[in-house]
Amino acid sequence: MAEQSIAGAPGQAMAADGDRSARARFVIALLCLALALSVFLSLTAGASDASAVRVIHDWFTGAVPPDGALAARDRLIVYDIRMPRVLLGVLIGAALAVCGAVMQGLFRNPLADPGLIGVSAGSSLGAVTIIVVGTTWLAPVTLALGALALPLAAFFGGLAVTLLLYAIATRQGRTSVATMLLAGIAISALAMAITGTLIFMADDRQLRDLTFWQLGSLAGATWPKIGTVGPVIILALATMPFLSRGLNALALGEATAGHLGIPVQRLKYTAIIGVSAAVGASVAVSGGIGFIGIVVPHVLRLAIGPDNRYLLPASALLGASLLLIADAVARTIVAPAELPIGIVTAVAGAPFFLWILLRKRGVVDL
Amino acid sequence: MIEARDISVAIGGKRIVSHVDFRARPGEVTAIVGPNGSGKTTLLKALTGELAYAGTVTLNGRDLSAMKPVEAATLRAVLPQATALSFPFTVREIVRLGLIGGRSGVLPGEDARLPERALARLDLDGFAGRFYQELSGGEQQRVQLARVLCQVWAPMLEGRPRYLFLDEPVSSLDVKHQLIIMDIARDFARRGGGVVAILHDLNLTAMYAERIFVLRNGELAAAGSPMDVINDELIERVFDCRLKVGALPSGNIPFVLPQSAA
Repeated sequence: MAEQSIAGAPGQAMAADGDRSARARFVIALLCLALALSVFLSLTAGASDASAVRVIHDWFTGAVPPDGALAARDRLIVYDIRMPRVLLGVLIGAALAVCGAVMQGLFRNPLADPGLIGVSAGSSLGAVTIIVVGTTWLAPVTLALGALALPLAAFFGGLAVTLLLYAIATRQGRTSVATMLLAGIAISALAMAITGTLIFMADDRQLRDLTFWQLGSLAGATWPKIGTVGPVIILALATMPFLSRGLNALALGEATAGHLGIPVQRLKYTAIIGVSAAVGASVAVSGGIGFIGIVVPHVLRLAIGPDNRYLLPASALLGASLLLIADAVARTIVAPAELPIGIVTAVAGAPFFLWILLRKRGVVDL
Repeated sequence: MIEARDISVAIGGKRIVSHVDFRARPGEVTAIVGPNGSGKTTLLKALTGELAYAGTVTLNGRDLSAMKPVEAATLRAVLPQATALSFPFTVREIVRLGLIGGRSGVLPGEDARLPERALARLDLDGFAGRFYQELSGGEQQRVQLARVLCQVWAPMLEGRPRYLFLDEPVSSLDVKHQLIIMDIARDFARRGGGVVAILHDLNLTAMYAERIFVLRNGELAAAGSPMDVINDELIERVFDCRLKVGALPSGNIPFVLPQSAA
């Protein structure tokens, strides 16, 4: 089995007693390093030749650079353009990967993913609704909520789809994965149709705002946006570690998890609300970025096992690193223009996803 | 003491269990027997709170429906008939899930060694590092029982008895492992705990159970000691086939020889 050959991979041999926690902690330490490296790389790479190293060095040492104007430009690029973008990339990458892992644990299937089953489509619909009719039909709502209107709409869009999916796919406590995936496709299609109608109604300025929902991008990163969605994502992610033991027990089925003392209903609701909040907030600022949520937890399960106590933090670290790298590629590969990051994650993630499907053919019954 | 009064369970509008009274005492192995579809598993699921039921169930005098999952998990562990696993956990990781509630009843710090000891009791030495999904059906069943044992390792906690609910614990096992598991059940009861087990093998039931509840078509057909319950007339009526019942020379344990289905 692949699990075993990977378990015997370099780094640390799989302990003969089946305890992978030491190995998991080692991998998490490595991933911390990888994230630090990705952050550094992202701050340095870009269309401009601004030197992040010099800016940070000057900031720490208080040195006065010889060319004042150039230094001011570099500071602006690093502090106001790259830093919020990097921070947003870290938040969103972590959120998407952790939400993927949580959804997979909740649905007890490695193929569940907020993007795949329509949660992201629901969030997009919520966000697009605010952009297009937020200043006309929904003006009172937008006025009352201010900058929160967009993330809240994305949150409730995602929540509505998740709850609907769960209600459709669950009968007598059993969640059917086939029903869930098929219902997800149908709901996605419906949400996209309504989104399409709204886009048809949109004016030119709104159209520009809308374009990036469909492909996903971190280009809109600003400090005020981070101030709005950052707390939502951080709060949602902070609740996830408390779900890890329950999600582990859920691998044995809902009934057995209950017999082990897990409050299963509360676990499900907390997970669904947390995922909707984090995905909704992510979609609100960056549009739909696919495949992070499915690829990251899967790779990590091969490396450190499915124990959510380690899988969730490791997913956060790897998700953040991968999204930063994808964003660096998106910003530099066609510089001075830039690719939507959704294209980069799809080009890298889709073949990987197909590979999972092929490997799992016959093992996972869809 | 587990006490259930007037238990009825309906699934999808169809009544599966009707007005069953049940009790299981600590210190005893209590068996539930009956033909396929007679409502044994449904009754067990009501007794463990997994299915909604009409009637009352009490564990050590406390109403089951008023207990939080974590309280019920402290008082009893449940071995389901079959367990489907959704991710590639190792055997040790599965068994360790039994310790999730942290009320195994051993001294703090000894918990970490329980999976090893539980696996050893189930004749699974050396299995801890294997992947659960690669084991045979019988081995998986024993791993699940090791997990269940970890949850209520001490049959008594704070002076109160705890319970094991076992749904067909020996159904896919060879005879040696059937006996190992029934010995574990008996030992759990001897040390003050209570065991409720659904069994199909009437001889194993007669050997190990102190009390037997016989179900037929969702109703209680008989209840009592093996000598009271296992006789030609009742067994033929309940199982609808010809059996010959004898008794061991010691005189207090009956045995059953199948004759023919007609």
